[in-house]
Amino acid sequence: MSKQTQKDKNFVPSRRSFLQGGLTAAGGAAVAAIGGGAALAAGTPDPAITELKDWNQYSGPGVDAAPYGVPSPFEAHVVRRDVPWLTADPISSINFTPLHELDGIITPNGLCFERHHSGVAEVDPAEHRLMINGLVDKPLVFTMQDLMRFPRENRVYFLECAANSGMEWRGAQLNGCQFTHGMLHNVMYTGVRLRTLLEEAGVKPSGKWILAEGADASGMGRSIPIEKALDDCLVAFKMNGEALRPEQGYPVRLCVPGWEGNMWVKWLRRIEVGDKPWQLREETSKYTDLMPDGRARRFTWAMDVKSVITNPSPQAPITHGRGHTIITGVAWSGHGKIKRVDVSIDGGRNWQHARIDGPSLSRSLHRFYYEFNWDGSPLYLQSRAIDEQGYVQPTKDALRAARGDNSIYHNNGIQTWYLKSNGEAENVEVS
Amino acid sequence: MSKFLKFTASIVLLGAAWATNANAQDADAGEKVFRKCAACHAVGEGAKNKVGPELNEIFGRVAGSLEDFKYSKAMTKAGEEGLVWDHDSLTEYLAKPRDYVKGTKMAFAGLKKDDEIANVIAYLATFSESAEQAAAEPESAPASEPVETASAAEPALNAADAVIPEHGVYHLGREALPEEIAAWDIDVRPDGVGLPVGSGTVADGGVLYDENCAVCHGVFGEGEGRWPVLSGGFDTLTADRPVKTIGSYWPFASTIFDYVHRAMPFGNARSLSADQTYAITAYLLYLNDIVTEEDFELSNETFSEISLPNEENFYPDDRLEEANFATNVEPCMENCGDGPAEIVMRARILDVTPDGDEENGAGGID
Repeated sequence: MSKQTQKDKNFVPSRRSFLQGGLTAAGGAAVAAIGGGAALAAGTPDPAITELKDWNQYSGPGVDAAPYGVPSPFEAHVVRRDVPWLTADPISSINFTPLHELDGIITPNGLCFERHHSGVAEVDPAEHRLMINGLVDKPLVFTMQDLMRFPRENRVYFLECAANSGMEWRGAQLNGCQFTHGMLHNVMYTGVRLRTLLEEAGVKPSGKWILAEGADASGMGRSIPIEKALDDCLVAFKMNGEALRPEQGYPVRLCVPGWEGNMWVKWLRRIEVGDKPWQLREETSKYTDLMPDGRARRFTWAMDVKSVITNPSPQAPITHGRGHTIITGVAWSGHGKIKRVDVSIDGGRNWQHARIDGPSLSRSLHRFYYEFNWDGSPLYLQSRAIDEQGYVQPTKDALRAARGDNSIYHNNGIQTWYLKSNGEAENVEVS
Repeated sequence: MSKFLKFTASIVLLGAAWATNANAQDADAGEKVFRKCAACHAVGEGAKNKVGPELNEIFGRVAGSLEDFKYSKAMTKAGEEGLVWDHDSLTEYLAKPRDYVKGTKMAFAGLKKDDEIANVIAYLATFSESAEQAAAEPESAPASEPVETASAAEPALNAADAVIPEHGVYHLGREALPEEIAAWDIDVRPDGVGLPVGSGTVADGGVLYDENCAVCHGVFGEGEGRWPVLSGGFDTLTADRPVKTIGSYWPFASTIFDYVHRAMPFGNARSLSADQTYAITAYLLYLNDIVTEEDFELSNETFSEISLPNEENFYPDDRLEEANFATNVEPCMENCGDGPAEIVMRARILDVTPDGDEENGAGGID
C-alpha cells in the first residue's frame, strides 16, 4: 500500500466533496490509487510488494507502549460525530455512532453514541450508591460492591434513541447513515436483573410502576411499568467486558431491552416503586409523539423493527468499480429477533433475501449481507427487516400517512440510498 | 546545616506568600468548579463565544473588549473605565457578579466559597499566558502522584466478623435511613405527592426567573437560540411547525416544579430552594396565562388548583393499531409499485449534513 493510499484512509467524505464537486482531489486520488493498483500494466510489479517497507525492516514499539490500546492511526477518522444545529449546547446534546465503519454486531465502547442532558457525570464508584425506596417492604441502599455480589448475567442488547432518524420525517435531510441512523449501539452488558434487586427489597402488591433516576446534574428520571421492571431490565456495570464508559453511565446504568434509549438511565442511583407514573419532563414534554390532529401519544416505549444499509452509503462510497459487490447493514427490533432482511436495488420494486450472519439474539443488532454483481448502473438501495413477531419495517410514506410529519420519535421507515455510476451514494426518497 | 535550614525557610516563606496570594489554588479542582460556568462559557483550544464570552487569555483582558461578543452596556462601560481582568478583579466579580458590575447580563449568582473562586481562577489561568508566567516561579514542588499498582481496596476485617443483614434473599445492602431517602427522593407527581412544604408568588418568581433562567429561556420564555421555548405556542399543535411549551403542550404543572427543582438552572442544579421553585413555577404559569395575578401564590396547598390546558390531549401508545403493524402480511417481493422508482426527495435539496460549516437544519430533537 502506497503512502498516498494510507493518507487517503484518513480522508473523511463531506457532502461538499461528494455531492457538489463530484469527486474531489482526495476522493479522486482514492479511486485512482485503488483503481491504479488494478490497472497496473500487466507485468508491472506492485511496489507494495517489491519495495521494502519500514514495518518489515525496523522493530516496532514494545509491549508497554500503550497500556490501554487504541486503534491504528490509519483508523483516526472512525469517530463519533455530532450535528451542532440539533441542540442548543454540547452539554445537553447528542453525537452519532459511525455505523458505516463497523461490521459484525458489537459496537466498540469508544464509538457508542452519546446523549447527555447535563454533560457526562464523573462519578466516584466508592461514593456511588443505589437506593431502592417507595412501596417496598424494606428500603435498601447498595454499594457497588453489594451490587456485584448478586447473581450476574451477560446479555447483548441494542440501544436506540427514540429520536433516531427523527430528522428525516420531513424528507431526506442528512447524508450519511451515521447521521440518519447512528443514535444506535449494540453492546454486551454484564449486570444484575433489576428483578433480583427489587425482590431483595420486596415490592408491595400496590407497586405498579418504578421510577429510575440518575445521579447526573439533569437528575434524569423515567417511569417504567413494574411488568417490564420485573421482566428483562438489567442493572449493568460492564459493557463489552470492561467497566461502563463514563459517557455510558459509569459506574452503573439501567438497561431496558427493546425500549427507547432515554429510559436506560445512566449513573443509576435510585429506583422508587410507586402506584402511578411520575410524568416527569422526559415522558411529557419530550418523548411523546405529536399526531396530526394535535393530540399526542405517550408512553411509546418499544422501538419498532428497523434496518439500514451501512455500506455503501453517503459516507462510504463504492470505489472499486463494477463487479462483485457486497451490500451490508444492520437490522434490529424491540419486539425480539430479526427473522428476515430483504434488500432491493431498484427502489423497492423487487426484493431479494439478504444473508444474516453472526449471532441472532433477541433485541440485538443483526448483521446482514447481500452480494451481487454490480454492472455499474445507478441503483436505489433499500433494506426491509421483518421480526419474529411478523412486524414488517414500513415505508416512510406509510409512517407519514399514519402519523404526519411532527411526531419526531420512532421513525423506523425504509431508507433509500441512491447509488450513482461513480460509486457515490446519496440519501433520497423514491416514489 | 544552618545554611540548609535557611534555604528551607526561604522556600517555605516563598510558598506561604504564594499560597496567600493565590489562596492555595488548585487548577484541577477549578476544572470541576468550571462546570458551573460551562453552560455559558468555553475555554481551551478552539473555545468560542457561547451565551457568555470565551475565556482564553482572560488575564489582562479589558472588560467588555471582545469584538465579536455582545456585552451588556454595563460591562463595556466598566472596561472603558479601566476594569481589567486579573486575579483580584476576577475574585471579586465571581463572588457577586451583579454587585461588582451592576447591569452585567451574566445571570450567574456567584460562587459562594472562597476556595471555589480561587480554584476556578487557577484553572482559567492555565489558559492565559500572562497568568501562567506570573505563576511560573514560586510554586512549591508538587508531590508526585503515587503510581498505584493494584486496587487500593482495604482488606476486609476478619471475614467471619462481617454482619449479615436479615432482609431479602441474598442479605445484601442495608436499610435506607429516612434522612437518606429524604435527601434523594424529591420527585413530584401530578397528584401532588412529593411536593415539599413551601410557597412563592408570581412576583417573586419574576425576579428569580430574570436572574436564573432568562439568559437561556428568554425574558418572556421565548427561548434564546435553540434553548427550550417555555411559553406561548397556543393553537400551534396542528400547525406545520408546532411550538410545544408549558402552556401549549405540557400536560402537568407538577413536571415544571419537579424539573426546575432537580435540574435547573442548567449547570447549577439543585441550587433552588423549595420556596424559590414554587415562585419560578408560579411565574412560568403566569407567562403562559395559566394564572393571571402577579400576587398569586403557589404553594403545596394551592398546587391542586392548577391544571394545564393540554392535559386531555395525551393518550396511551396505540401504534399497534396502525396498518403498518399488521403481522400476517407477507410483503410484496416482485414487481411492486407502479413503474420504476423515481426520486421524489433528495438530501442535497435540504442537506444540512455537518461538514464544518455553520448551518441549520429543520427540526431539532432536543
